[in-house]
Amino acid sequence: MREVRWLRTTALFSSLLLTVTLAPTAYAVPSFARQTGLACEACHTVFPELNHFGRLFKANGYTLDNLKQVRDIDTRKQQLLSLSTLPPLAAMIQVSETWLNQSLPQGTGLPARSQSSTVGFPQQLSLFYAGKVAPHVGAMIQLTYENDSAAIGIDNTDLRYANLLLLPNDHGLVYGLSVNNNPTVQDLWNTTPAWGYPYAASNAGVSSLAATQIDGTLAQQVAGLSAYALWNESLYAEMGVYHSAQQGVTNPITGAAGPLDGTASNVIEGAAPYARLAYEYQWGRHDLEVGAYGAQFKLFPGGGTTAAPATLTLPTNQFDDIAEDLQYQFLGEDHIVTLAATHIHETMHLDASFASGASANPSNQLNTTRITGTYYFRRKYGATLSHFATTGSADPGLYPAGSAPGVITSADGSPDTSGWIAEVNYLPWLNTKLSLQYTHYDQFNGGTLNYDGLGRDAAANDTTYLLLWLTF
Amino acid sequence: MNTKNLRRLTATATLLCITALAAVRVHGAGIDAANRLAGERVAVGTCANCHGWQGHSIQPKFPVLAGQQANYLLAQLHAFKSQTRGDPDALGYMWGMAAPLDESMMAALADYYSRQTPWAGERGDPRLIAHGEQIYQQGDAAQGIPPCAACHGPKAAGTSMYPSLAGQHVQYLIKQLRSFQNNLRDVAIMHGVAQGLKLPDMLAVSAYLQSLGP
Repeated sequence: MREVRWLRTTALFSSLLLTVTLAPTAYAVPSFARQTGLACEACHTVFPELNHFGRLFKANGYTLDNLKQVRDIDTRKQQLLSLSTLPPLAAMIQVSETWLNQSLPQGTGLPARSQSSTVGFPQQLSLFYAGKVAPHVGAMIQLTYENDSAAIGIDNTDLRYANLLLLPNDHGLVYGLSVNNNPTVQDLWNTTPAWGYPYAASNAGVSSLAATQIDGTLAQQVAGLSAYALWNESLYAEMGVYHSAQQGVTNPITGAAGPLDGTASNVIEGAAPYARLAYEYQWGRHDLEVGAYGAQFKLFPGGGTTAAPATLTLPTNQFDDIAEDLQYQFLGEDHIVTLAATHIHETMHLDASFASGASANPSNQLNTTRITGTYYFRRKYGATLSHFATTGSADPGLYPAGSAPGVITSADGSPDTSGWIAEVNYLPWLNTKLSLQYTHYDQFNGGTLNYDGLGRDAAANDTTYLLLWLTF
Repeated sequence: MNTKNLRRLTATATLLCITALAAVRVHGAGIDAANRLAGERVAVGTCANCHGWQGHSIQPKFPVLAGQQANYLLAQLHAFKSQTRGDPDALGYMWGMAAPLDESMMAALADYYSRQTPWAGERGDPRLIAHGEQIYQQGDAAQGIPPCAACHGPKAAGTSMYPSLAGQHVQYLIKQLRSFQNNLRDVAIMHGVAQGLKLPDMLAVSAYLQSLGP
């Protein structure tokens, strides 16, 4: 029984850890500049952070197009086609080096240690189709090669329909639909997880055990449909649903892309509701946004094997995620300041995992807070300081102690992880960024000293990360 | 510079302004209802993202367009589209935005913003404003600066030939004056006028103009 429990726990959280580790960071897309004829600064403070106009461009479905068009109309002058003469294509490459504060033990538990630095060449290489598809339809589709998987896969994708309703007295209501593969990837502010800070991070460090579901855990493993409206460029409301759309998972009998069965992990039961409400207020050079977002995911743990079969039948684990966010931007000619914060609160009702023994508690809490301040001088020299903290119920089932070599385990079953990120940036041109980032952990998987019970301290996972980031 | 030279400069300035703008006259009455609606839709759906509701821009980076002279708006749209206006924000924003606009849309947008009611000006430091008013209304003979009012009118409301400056953002006005100075915005008359303006004087004139209402 204990072995089955361990297998299920491992299946559940290795998949979570994998998705967290592989969760993509945010990008800026030069094909938008090609399509609109607008420089990066029209939509971004500094890429990938959006300014007010960038948020409006996104809300309008990426459809603003200033290129020559191939057109067709019918006899009633209705548009049948409006296609840019050049496709909105772009590429992105990240080349990085990561230095881990203390190298890792060898996986077999022998005393030998790993190297302490990792070169990512490339860490990521992406190809984008990002721009208008039809008069009211746009897309941001990203394919990414990553060095850890050495494979090309689907990355953040957002297909949109958007239109404008002209209201009395020259007010406008932008409304639309988004089909996307990552909760909050369709969002307009850089406070929510998909496009939040850190915009780029090492994939050669050590990831902590716990993350809320809305915080990138389900990225690229779901398909969502949401409807949204933006009134008067200020009040934004969105409602949608997410369904599992797992990548690289096949039905074991047919070998086809589906249907999913108990061998798949964390499959959403039915459709998971998602909601977002935000208000943005501008005065002078200042821009303030306050908002809330949330979702409810009912997941079948699945992850069955021949040794430990599982089915996609009730009960499920239910994750209720409710989050608040706040963003302030100051946009001067020379000086740009951004403050962004979010707090995500998750309540877990682990009916399935508790029944199977995969979790120690029937319900848990998990909270994540991020507060980030960024300053840029003339969009060329920048500095960021960010604090992150995840705290929650101790649960030795979910956050297990494990055995040697430790590192990604928790001696006391606590998910608590907190620390700081300090980053400096230099952009010789608006689409090229050189970053030096240092991440320090005050606490990691519940401990400051010897957090894994095998002698590793939280600060051993500190990373220094040097990044060359080109988008073109 | 003596008074005679100043008068000559003012006269030359006026002549150049007339020459530059005479070719582009807009008659709002010539825009039909369909074009007017199309212009309103683009103004609300796109231009307003930067230039604000009915042209009342909130961010000082972007000019207030409400009540601007239609001829001036049309001339600028042409300059953006032909990429002959070369100040940084013209390149970064308006070259792209103006690229797909045809003649009827440009006329409709110019008409739309010229019909909007300007807001009351924004008060600032009274001493600075008084100094700015002095330069604007009477010029500064010692620096070779003619009175701005000679072209832009005593209330800075502009005419069919010259742009309105009343109620415009200080930040925007200063950027334009600097762009005239260094010829990023290549307008001969304004290059000559702005050449002698020092930053404190630019600030004063801009503060005065921002304080003016309709």
